[in-house]
Amino acid sequence: MLTKRLPPLQSLLLLVSRPHSHHARQQFDVIVVGGGHAGTEAAAAAARMGAETLLVTQKIHTVGALSCNPSLGGVGKGQLVKEVDALDGLCGRAGDWAGIHFSILNRRKGPAVWGPRAQLDRQRYREFIQSELLSTPRLTVMEGSVEELLVTEPNPEKPGCHRVTGICLAGSNQPISASSVVLTTGTFLSGSLFVGQTTSPGGRIGDAPSSAGLSYTLRERLGLRIGRLRTGTPPRIVKDSVDLSLVKLHLPDSHPSPFSFLNTHTRCKPEEQLPCYLTFTTPGVERVVRESLHVNCHIQQDTKGPRYCPSIESRVLRFPGRSHQVWLEPEGMTSDLFYPQGLSMTMPPDMQLRLIREIPAMHRAEIHTPGYGVQYDFVCPTQLSPALQVKNTQGLFLAGQINGTTGYEEAAAQGLWAGVNAARCALSLPTMALSRTESYIGVLIDDLVSRGVTEPYRMFTSRAEFRTSLRPDNADLRLTLKGFEEVGCVSSVRYQEAVRVKNTLQDALLALQALTLSAPNWKKTLPDICMSKVKSTILTGMDVLQYNDMSFEMLASAFPECLSSYKEFSLRLKIEAVYKPHCDLNKKEIERIQKEENMSLPQDIDYLSIPVSLSQEVREILDRVRPSTLGAATRLEGITPAAIVSLFNYVQFTKSQRMKREEELCARNVSLPQ
Amino acid sequence: MIMPLLLVCRGIWRAAVYTLKTRGTSPPKLFSTCDGAPAGLADADTIFALSSGHGRCGVAVVRVSGPASVTALRLMAGLTGRLPTPRTALLRSITDPQTREVLDRGLVLWFPAPHSFSGEDSVEFHVHGGPAVITAVLQALGSVPGMRPAEAGEFTRRAFQAGKLGLTEVEGLGDLIHAETEAQRRQALRQMSGDLGRLYQDWSHRLKRCLAHVEAFIDFSEDELIEEGVLDQVDRSLRDLQVEMEQHLKDERRGERLRSGVQVVIAGATNAGKSSLLNTLCQRPAAIVSPIAGTTRDVVETALDIGGFPVLLSDTAGLRDSPDLVEREGVRRARERKGEQFVFYRKLSVQGAGQRLVTWVTTGRTLVEQADLTLVVVDSAHLPTEAHQAAAFLQEHLRSVLPSQKQYETDRCVLVLNKTDLLPEKQRQKLDRELRAVSGLPPVCPISCQTNEGLKDFLTVLHSSVKTLCGDPLSGAPTLTQARHRAHLQQCAAALAQYQRYRDTDLALAADGVRLALTSLGRITGRVGAEEILDIIFKDFCIGK
Repeated sequence: MLTKRLPPLQSLLLLVSRPHSHHARQQFDVIVVGGGHAGTEAAAAAARMGAETLLVTQKIHTVGALSCNPSLGGVGKGQLVKEVDALDGLCGRAGDWAGIHFSILNRRKGPAVWGPRAQLDRQRYREFIQSELLSTPRLTVMEGSVEELLVTEPNPEKPGCHRVTGICLAGSNQPISASSVVLTTGTFLSGSLFVGQTTSPGGRIGDAPSSAGLSYTLRERLGLRIGRLRTGTPPRIVKDSVDLSLVKLHLPDSHPSPFSFLNTHTRCKPEEQLPCYLTFTTPGVERVVRESLHVNCHIQQDTKGPRYCPSIESRVLRFPGRSHQVWLEPEGMTSDLFYPQGLSMTMPPDMQLRLIREIPAMHRAEIHTPGYGVQYDFVCPTQLSPALQVKNTQGLFLAGQINGTTGYEEAAAQGLWAGVNAARCALSLPTMALSRTESYIGVLIDDLVSRGVTEPYRMFTSRAEFRTSLRPDNADLRLTLKGFEEVGCVSSVRYQEAVRVKNTLQDALLALQALTLSAPNWKKTLPDICMSKVKSTILTGMDVLQYNDMSFEMLASAFPECLSSYKEFSLRLKIEAVYKPHCDLNKKEIERIQKEENMSLPQDIDYLSIPVSLSQEVREILDRVRPSTLGAATRLEGITPAAIVSLFNYVQFTKSQRMKREEELCARNVSLPQ
Repeated sequence: MIMPLLLVCRGIWRAAVYTLKTRGTSPPKLFSTCDGAPAGLADADTIFALSSGHGRCGVAVVRVSGPASVTALRLMAGLTGRLPTPRTALLRSITDPQTREVLDRGLVLWFPAPHSFSGEDSVEFHVHGGPAVITAVLQALGSVPGMRPAEAGEFTRRAFQAGKLGLTEVEGLGDLIHAETEAQRRQALRQMSGDLGRLYQDWSHRLKRCLAHVEAFIDFSEDELIEEGVLDQVDRSLRDLQVEMEQHLKDERRGERLRSGVQVVIAGATNAGKSSLLNTLCQRPAAIVSPIAGTTRDVVETALDIGGFPVLLSDTAGLRDSPDLVEREGVRRARERKGEQFVFYRKLSVQGAGQRLVTWVTTGRTLVEQADLTLVVVDSAHLPTEAHQAAAFLQEHLRSVLPSQKQYETDRCVLVLNKTDLLPEKQRQKLDRELRAVSGLPPVCPISCQTNEGLKDFLTVLHSSVKTLCGDPLSGAPTLTQARHRAHLQQCAAALAQYQRYRDTDLALAADGVRLALTSLGRITGRVGAEEILDIIFKDFCIGK
């Protein structure tokens, strides 16, 4: 993949449809609105699924833009990137193409919580995504602004239920029809930008605001509950104006580890990688924040911002008298800018300059672009199914910040899954859910649709109950096979590779199991091993590999005849050996949860009136959240076991009634004279 | 289906369909998922519970359901070859798989899936109804790998999931479980508002903080200013917690006794007046009493309230060589029935009034061994007249009646010298005076069940012994009142050991230990969700990228 050259963009851009072009198709299976991380993954996934797909974006050259930080992955987020890649998504490979500084975070804390991360070259990332999209079969990219989302009138048989039919672009009276529409509007849905006391409509500086029509349809026609969140981005600093003698150098890993399971190395050579720099805030920074509060609209407002990616204003206000970290990150291989992570701010530009100059290394720094805040609408995600489909509107899917999340990786993960299901829906296949027991994507979506959000949602490893099973190293085994066999979003090339990996690992583990020696014999073979076992104990290679100071290479060199052929997977085998006992323990619990998740609750239950003994409180909770499975219902706050039993009983009863009716109907049909 | 436990209500014992599974603010969940049953508590587990009422009953039914039922059956009924005919009662010795000790002889029934109540492989043990036997059987089951005590409504739930319950039956189930949860909630509130509740809440709070700090260190330390020092503090806190829990678990079952009653067993030679003592204590003829030795042929058990403390009093039969042919036959059969290992009997030479008497003293070995307190009844008329001889006699008598030195030493015994009305006044006084002066004897209480003489003093002694065994609930450290609490706390302490084991090599696995510990404790105090942990993280640390 990385050896191939990207096709020249200019030639690809010719393929882009224009809304007024005479040849433009007016009918698609799936339309994706928005070209950010969610939108690009959604469009690519839908097209991989075999759906005729249209991606509508305001500006073709901002497709794949990194609007905020120039980095990908991290603890928890890196797991998401690996999983998106395992499902044949784009961001892992794009990261390997565009990365200029790779490191694995948490390296000392155990492989389950390793966080693969990379600083990216913005230009290269965009290039990769654009060229990938534009060369994807069945995918059309079109510039335009969506004026209206087209939905049917409510179905008289199912009150309040709509079906999506397509979109209407600004400046065109010709609707484009589709069976599914994926909205990935990011911060553009009724977005407003804040700098100091100035407010202007928009979702990103330099881009036109989105039309109010979309917001109107979601809120008024579909009756969706909408909330408001805020976020922000720091000013960009001119690199040459920073005194690098006053900052701490932070070097990347000497051997960059690629994100993608398909890549063995990154595009950037190890020695070409760029460093990051660490510096700290001073009391002067706090002073400027306090002095600028009266001219800082954004910070005064009551909209929820993220606790874990706060502006410098909220950081110093919440934890005064401390020194806060500021990372200076390169924006690209040739970029002359720094991204000062930790200095997101919304004060007036002159105050921003005063603030950064309070930091010694930046006492003469220049700002290239000031930081700003964004407030935007999001759709309360409890109104979505685990397929990310709006429950009351067939064919309408939402992904990314519109669901109340923050972060590229969270957006990409949802985008991919929304794209998969939009395509399945358009191709008349049943929609699918990923379980929280098998992936971080499943944890993310389950948290969103069953608990909702009160602040921008970010992934942490602590959110995953089965963290020791959902590791970055085994994302391919967890998802690629299923992605090909059941979902349909994985290419056969990737699938073949995953099958090979799986089989080889299995063989290797069997070989390790079969390797049995008594403790003294192990000590004889591997004298360095710290073994305090009694003489009679028989240990397998698996057991021995679990020892802290034992690596697979050491075993393989001691037993080359049976193990050397698996050296390619040394690290993975070591991890498997250490984690296997714990994962086996998790397995039973995982199976039980999966069983409960398989008991689906019909979406048309009228919880307020079903003839079951449920308290009014429980009815209201169920009616509000409309859990899609019994498992999701048990996780709701305030749902009693008795309610679950009644509910299960009701569902089973109605199901058996329905089946009986169908049987009768069948029997009647059969007995009808031909 | 339910772990029945005993509730004390003004000294009256009630068998209550009840279980303790508290969740604090969030209600207990039937299909509990992310409230995180620890790995060992998943559905594929085999569960067991006493299915008949607790307290005094002739036969107790212990039910087992799940894949390990066969293992339990084989191990405990000593079946190595073919399994018994399904759904047919079979008389077997029931043994502890660990100690190989015979616990009882009773019926076992084998219900292979799907033809069982729960739809799974099931086994029923029908054993004698005394708490000692039941406890022993339950404990033995708990030691079989893959087995755990059943949760509330779990047998029914499994039956329900296996489609074993009809719709009408199911309709009542919701209400039933609701009632259970109500009882649970009320009970939990009562318990949780006390010292014990405060103790567990405090532990839970500390564990939460520890977990939050470990999680913060995992999720944020690379980007943020979270230093390794955070973990050192966690190490200390967790070690302290583990020590405190282990200490708490070592409270010699005092709290549990307070809940489920102090097991007091009356033992002694035949016709020493054991049953009379029981009747005197009960103030009603619970056991048939007659002057003929060997009247009591079975274990009689009564629940009593001694000064506010619950007591389960058991009377045991004294076995001996009897001239009564009928009884002799009964004894022979009894020995045969109980099996060599079960019967605790010992030849006892009693030299009293120049007469050599050979007496078999037998008690259910488990009964006396598991008794919290043994009342050894001695016929005063059999005592040597010389006081110093009497002391030696009593010591030897105790050694033969009590199965181990342990109970004798730890003041788990009271000597009751019955039938003092038969002694001359002078001798009685002398005996009383001299025996008090002898050290190395348990409390000695001369009484007469006939005239109630000395009964008041005996009750005072009994009361103080029982009180010591229960621990005064109004003072000192809170005691453990629930077997279920004990199980969860043990799991919790074990999980903390996992943290220590992996602390330096793999923090993810170490954190898993703390998660598991919190989940186990959460089964007592209420579940702790990921959001709660994140809240602590953001309160304690300045996180910001």
